[in-house]
Amino acid sequence: MNPLSSTVLHLDTVTRIHGEGATEVRALREVSFRVAAGELVAVMGPSGSGKSTLLTMAGGLDAPTSGTVSVEGVDLATLGNAGRARMRRTSVGYVFQDFNLIPALSAVENVALPMELDGVRSRAARAAARAALEEVGIPELADRFPDHMSGGQQQRVAIARAVVGERRLILADEPTGALDSETGEEILRLLRARCDAGAAGVLVTHEARHAAWADRVVFLRDGVVVDETGADPADVLLESRR
Amino acid sequence: MSSWRLAIRLARRDALRARGRSILVLVMIALPVLAVTAADVVIQTQEVTGVEALDRRLGTADAQVTVPAEGRPMVQRFDPMDGATTVGGKPDPPTEAEISAALGGARLVEERVGSVSYATDKGIGYVEVTEVDLRDPVADGLFELTSGRLPETAGEVVVNDAVLDSGYALGDTLDLGRQNPAPTIVGIADSASLRTAPTAAGPIGSLGLDARNGASPGWLAEGGPVSWDAVEALNTMGALVLSRAVIEDPPPASEIPEELNWDSGDDSMVAAVALIVVMALLEVVLLAGPAFAVTARRQARSLALMSATGGTPAQSRRVVLAGGLVLGGAAAVLGVVLGIGAGWLLLPVVQRWSSHWFGPFDVPWPHVAGIAMFGLASAVLAAVVPAWIAARQDVVAVLAGRRADRPPSVRSPILGVVLLGIGVAMAAYGAAAGSGSGEFLIAGSAIVAVLGMILVVPVVVAGVARAAGRLPLSTRYAARDAARHRTRTVPAIAAVAATVAGVVTLGIGLSSDEAENEGTYTPSLAMGQAAVTGYDLRPAAWDELARVVDRELPGATVTPMTGVGGEDWVDLQEPGGSAPLLDEMSVGFGSSMLVGRSVPDLVPGIAAADRERAAAVLADGGVVAFTDHDVAGDEIELMAGERGTTIRVPAAYVRFQDDTYPTLAAVASPEAVERLGVDVGTVAVAVAGADVSTEQEQDVTEAVAAVNPNAGFYVERGYQAEENTRIVQFVLAALGAILMLGGTLTATFLALSDARPDLATLSAVGASPRRRRSIAASYALVVGFVGALLGAAVGFIPGIAITYPLTAPAYTDTGPYLDVPWALIVGLVVGLPLLTAAIVGLCTRARLPMVARLD
Ligand SMILES: Nc1ncnc2c1ncn2[C@@H]1O[C@H](COP(=O)(O)OP(=O)(O)OP(=O)(O)O)[C@@H](O)[C@H]1O
Ligand SMILES: [Mg+2]
Repeated sequence: MNPLSSTVLHLDTVTRIHGEGATEVRALREVSFRVAAGELVAVMGPSGSGKSTLLTMAGGLDAPTSGTVSVEGVDLATLGNAGRARMRRTSVGYVFQDFNLIPALSAVENVALPMELDGVRSRAARAAARAALEEVGIPELADRFPDHMSGGQQQRVAIARAVVGERRLILADEPTGALDSETGEEILRLLRARCDAGAAGVLVTHEARHAAWADRVVFLRDGVVVDETGADPADVLLESRR
Repeated sequence: MSSWRLAIRLARRDALRARGRSILVLVMIALPVLAVTAADVVIQTQEVTGVEALDRRLGTADAQVTVPAEGRPMVQRFDPMDGATTVGGKPDPPTEAEISAALGGARLVEERVGSVSYATDKGIGYVEVTEVDLRDPVADGLFELTSGRLPETAGEVVVNDAVLDSGYALGDTLDLGRQNPAPTIVGIADSASLRTAPTAAGPIGSLGLDARNGASPGWLAEGGPVSWDAVEALNTMGALVLSRAVIEDPPPASEIPEELNWDSGDDSMVAAVALIVVMALLEVVLLAGPAFAVTARRQARSLALMSATGGTPAQSRRVVLAGGLVLGGAAAVLGVVLGIGAGWLLLPVVQRWSSHWFGPFDVPWPHVAGIAMFGLASAVLAAVVPAWIAARQDVVAVLAGRRADRPPSVRSPILGVVLLGIGVAMAAYGAAAGSGSGEFLIAGSAIVAVLGMILVVPVVVAGVARAAGRLPLSTRYAARDAARHRTRTVPAIAAVAATVAGVVTLGIGLSSDEAENEGTYTPSLAMGQAAVTGYDLRPAAWDELARVVDRELPGATVTPMTGVGGEDWVDLQEPGGSAPLLDEMSVGFGSSMLVGRSVPDLVPGIAAADRERAAAVLADGGVVAFTDHDVAGDEIELMAGERGTTIRVPAAYVRFQDDTYPTLAAVASPEAVERLGVDVGTVAVAVAGADVSTEQEQDVTEAVAAVNPNAGFYVERGYQAEENTRIVQFVLAALGAILMLGGTLTATFLALSDARPDLATLSAVGASPRRRRSIAASYALVVGFVGALLGAAVGFIPGIAITYPLTAPAYTDTGPYLDVPWALIVGLVVGLPLLTAAIVGLCTRARLPMVARLD
């Protein structure tokens, strides 16, 4: 795997400052890192260290105060709001800790949402959504509404939505935070499988056990990357930090 | 299109999920739609339009031809009832044969329509009569026989129940007065058009209709359709024609004669309707606004997720707007369907109150479509601001679970203040413009001012929250919460404010109008006095009148008043002066010069000292002359009308007090009139010393009319506020209260459901369940009080302005009158918010939610 040749996400000296003067908060300070296709990168760090902020930068939901964020070689700053929205519809998938799904839409509709928003015909979008649900192993839940699903099932649907179509970048912010460990492992297995199939993934997590699924781990503290494991197995690195 | 489909699907599902809120919006929008639709159906049905009324007016005839005595040639609109006049005035009306010839030899059946007086069990009444051969098939449909038979000879008539109710029965003779026919009632028949008024019908001559009582010769024509050309030909001959063919299929509007081609669409009417629609729309939008604001907030996470998966702001906006479309559409359909049903159910009830027979059930579809559009538009408009705010929400913040409105923008309050300024300027300009264009400027200023006020509300709410620091916990919490969630608070406050502003404006207008009426009222008699007046009465009639009053009002002093009468009159002149003593006067007591030894007590506006002075002069054989300016002399010249006698007698000049309108020129002593040699007789009957009740007044009036229709009875009761005004004021207050209650209640309960998580937190830290009640009541108080205060302030702008065109008409020097109904305003600003808060406090469940549930 050559990370340089197929970089999907590239953050270059990204800084994000909230507020001004006395209330200024530096959520990220000159953070740089790359994620290549087929790679799953775990981001770890204490609460308030800027992990979620990093993900919102990567998905173009928020813009850095300085530095550049590129997805598939395109600088998000040059895209404009509409372009970034299109990118989220077609290239980036998000999975959050909980409340990932729109309660008024059934599972298959939730998965089809980005395609429908992109103007894909409803039938084609649903077909793709059913395929994605099949991939995450819950085809039978397609017509259920989120209110009638367990947390783990909801997260599977969320992952199906994050991968539906030809998504190249999956951003997951503590996707297992609200689940028991066994269910959490299954979710991570799904993410891992998706990355093995060629997508790039960023996984924010608290748990070292989950970071083991990743190819690499990035440590944040107070908005700064304090450590980064190379191609080393994650647990070796974790051991050394303790 | 496809993105709208997604938006509508989301909106529909959300509407079903949040059933309570959806029902609230449905009711708020469907109710006005229902009410207006029902009213429209009733109005359209009771209104008998041209074509519907044809059978009622024509029977089976093809045309109705009348020859008014105005002369030829005439011009008319398609329906001569809508307008007709002579343009030449030459006499010699067409004969029946000429008319028939002009209609191509049509068969003519004579028909006369008019009204005559008849004797009732109470006195004299009027009956609408038609003289036509009812047995002729051409008259089919004019009257419907319900019992008895149709008249066959000129001595027979049919009447309706109203005539029977006034003291007649089948077989009786109808008493039409001495010189008229006395036909026998042989049947009971309802007129096709008049329902409650007394009606009678019989052959020509049976009811004594002729030129004396204003009936013109007329015919029902049968002999094929009558074209507009034929109508015009008959117009030239001096006749007017109601042609079935012309009404059913009217010629182009350009055919209407120039003389009668006025613009039937009244501009001011259109403007008034437009104003009412705008105000109603504003009110509904503001009332429904909080519901959409809360809905949009509940959707905040869904919308943020949509953004995270690549939805654009436009798509988020559409989802919220689609909520308006879905609920507005459903409410419009529901309102229209129920409205038509309600109209149908109401018809029999309304018919009972109406004097006319209604037409066939009539649903005015174009109107109904407009009303439905109104419902849809109000819902969509109510969703516009929440949609706009939802599209601009901070996605990252919402996803992170933080929520609050953005800080208030500075620009909109400034725009609001500017609008308020424009409103004040428009109102002032309208007040200066006076009646005519002024009203519309002022009404426009009301809308501008209310819009400006809405933009200022956020700042006021923020100010209240800041000032709430020292208030008790519940009030402080409510004020802060109101300020934090402006999207739902502002429309609620604005709805209350707009209502109060409207009520205050109308209230000021109404009571000022009332103040004008009271201020410009001129009594005809001294307070508490009564009089019988009349014209063309013989002395015997006066005696009879005095007797009748004496009988009806035992204990009253009944005094015949003598005055100069008959063919005679007397001119008064100050010796050496040339100006008239009175610029204007109206004869109040049958003669401008009364004869007697004193100024009668019932003449209003005379000071006691003047009365003594007058009595002294009259004892001396002199004359009391009334003036509207100071005259110093003590003699007067009297000239007896046509006889030319001129005499000079001692005089007292007396001015009426307090702007009393002169009802009398002079009182002369008997000696003075004797020297003049003019006729003297009874001219009126004074009634004093009786506290006449309204029922007694009614009885005396009927008894007096029975003696002679030219006589009347009047009791001076001073200024009487019109019953209508009081009813309108009450309705206004009630409507304001309902709207205010509705606006505050919905806003409060929406706020409570929106504030669930916060209340859960409160309960977790140990707040007692009663706290929820006091918070709800406080929130209602904040919304109601701030809204009412702002609304009352804004309402004063057009309210004061409208008094100018209303109470200071250009042609008088009185007014403007300004009377602010403080009781109403204090009730609105202080009473109602407290009442609403109390109701909210009582209706709120005293149970705090135990879990913070997000959805
Ligand atoms: N809109 C904002 N305004 C001000 N400060 C903010 C804002 N958003 C985030 N921050 C601050 O930025 C820092 C990073 O926040 P972030 O949510 O990225 O942390 P995190 O690592 O995801 O924490 P956690 O593990 O608790 O989710 C925090 O100190 C936070 O307070
Ligand atoms: Mg986080």
